[in-house]
Amino acid sequence: MAEFEKKHNYEGLLIVIEGTDGSGKSTQLELLKRSMQDQSYGVIVSEWKTSRLIANVIDDAKERNLLNATTYSLLYAADFTDRLENQIIPALKSGFIVLLDRYYYTALARDVVRGQDIEWVKNLYDYAPEPDLIFYLDMPVDILLKRIIGTTGLDFYESGRDVGFSTDFYKSFEIYQNKCLEQYNKMKQEYNFISIDGTKSIEEIHEIMLAEVQKILDSGVLY
Amino acid sequence: MSRLTEKHNLKGTLVCVEGIDGSGKSTQLTLLRDWLKSSGKDVIFTEWNSSELICQTTKLAKKKNLLSPRTFSLLHAVDFADRFTQVIEPALKAGFIVLADRYAYTAFARDVARGADPQWVRQVYNFAIKPDLAVYFDIDPQSSMERICANRAPKFYEAGMDLKLSNDPYESYIIFQGRVIREYQKMVDEFGLVKLDAKDSIHTKQVEIRRLLKEILNAKGVEI
Repeated sequence: MAEFEKKHNYEGLLIVIEGTDGSGKSTQLELLKRSMQDQSYGVIVSEWKTSRLIANVIDDAKERNLLNATTYSLLYAADFTDRLENQIIPALKSGFIVLLDRYYYTALARDVVRGQDIEWVKNLYDYAPEPDLIFYLDMPVDILLKRIIGTTGLDFYESGRDVGFSTDFYKSFEIYQNKCLEQYNKMKQEYNFISIDGTKSIEEIHEIMLAEVQKILDSGVLY
Repeated sequence: MSRLTEKHNLKGTLVCVEGIDGSGKSTQLTLLRDWLKSSGKDVIFTEWNSSELICQTTKLAKKKNLLSPRTFSLLHAVDFADRFTQVIEPALKAGFIVLADRYAYTAFARDVARGADPQWVRQVYNFAIKPDLAVYFDIDPQSSMERICANRAPKFYEAGMDLKLSNDPYESYIIFQGRVIREYQKMVDEFGLVKLDAKDSIHTKQVEIRRLLKEILNAKGVEI
């Protein structure tokens, strides 16, 4: 069954930043990457849905609203697997610090909100190594909603329109994001997320993350 | 619990054919389709790896040897899930006879032959409905190869070359398809597949399949 609690035995470090859309993940990832590089560590960043194999299929299918809950889950799992096998694990084996923008927790949250059985989703990801650190950017929903609307705007799937919560675009978006947050809150405990108040300043959040990473680095695991 | 082991109670009837390449599945299914159509039945035909959503991607990735056993498995699951939710299930609800050239059992056989955990693959496909009739055409790897490789070498994935069983595609094909066949044979009991000898004549097999399907349809009150 699930191998979720398994720590990996690779030389490198696996660090994940999780959070809903608009929580500031990519900004923090970039800062963390620079801090690590300044200390002469080898860093590789990998983002959700960027595999050479399948990422463009997902974008294309989303554009044409071709996805149902099951194909949505399976396509993201394929994307993740391709990145895991071709980028993430090879980098970990070579002793890199691998910084990930989202991990399978994103899939668990989104797929369960789409009505999939959580055990079914966990099965899809059961071979994924457990990260060394998981940061979670915790944001109150009202601020999140404004951020997303102010930046990328409302997207069909990120508003959960495919699930049919409401025909009102904003209403659907609100329900969907709330439901995703609910799932993340459940996972906080289960997976030992280091939860950080996402309303803090960019610098403050970075300091907190850096301190946690530094603790591991100072223990000498990468020497 | 899985829908694959429970009888469905939808109006339609689901028939699938299984077996390795060259076992005569498609010939039999085509004959069956023509017969059903000429008897005025509503028939829908669906084929493995044919969904608009993903089949081109899978074919291209196969051509470039980009797939690992896991991505191979997941992409075929995407194809199946797409056809299942868009075609198979709605057609069964509407009362069609659905003819599937390969079904989830193909994934169970091939993925496990590639090293996947049998329970893992079965869980991935646990949304699939149990067919009313699932026919498995049993053939040995050598005869299968003689049929499909009469004028070409076995393809990379069809020979299981990704598993590095042998550098010779013909030898690799025999080993890999041998594994696939063993998985099919296990499923005869596990899922109640009806095993037919692929070496029997086209006519003999077709007579048997029609007889089996007639029984199933009659039990549902459908005359043919």
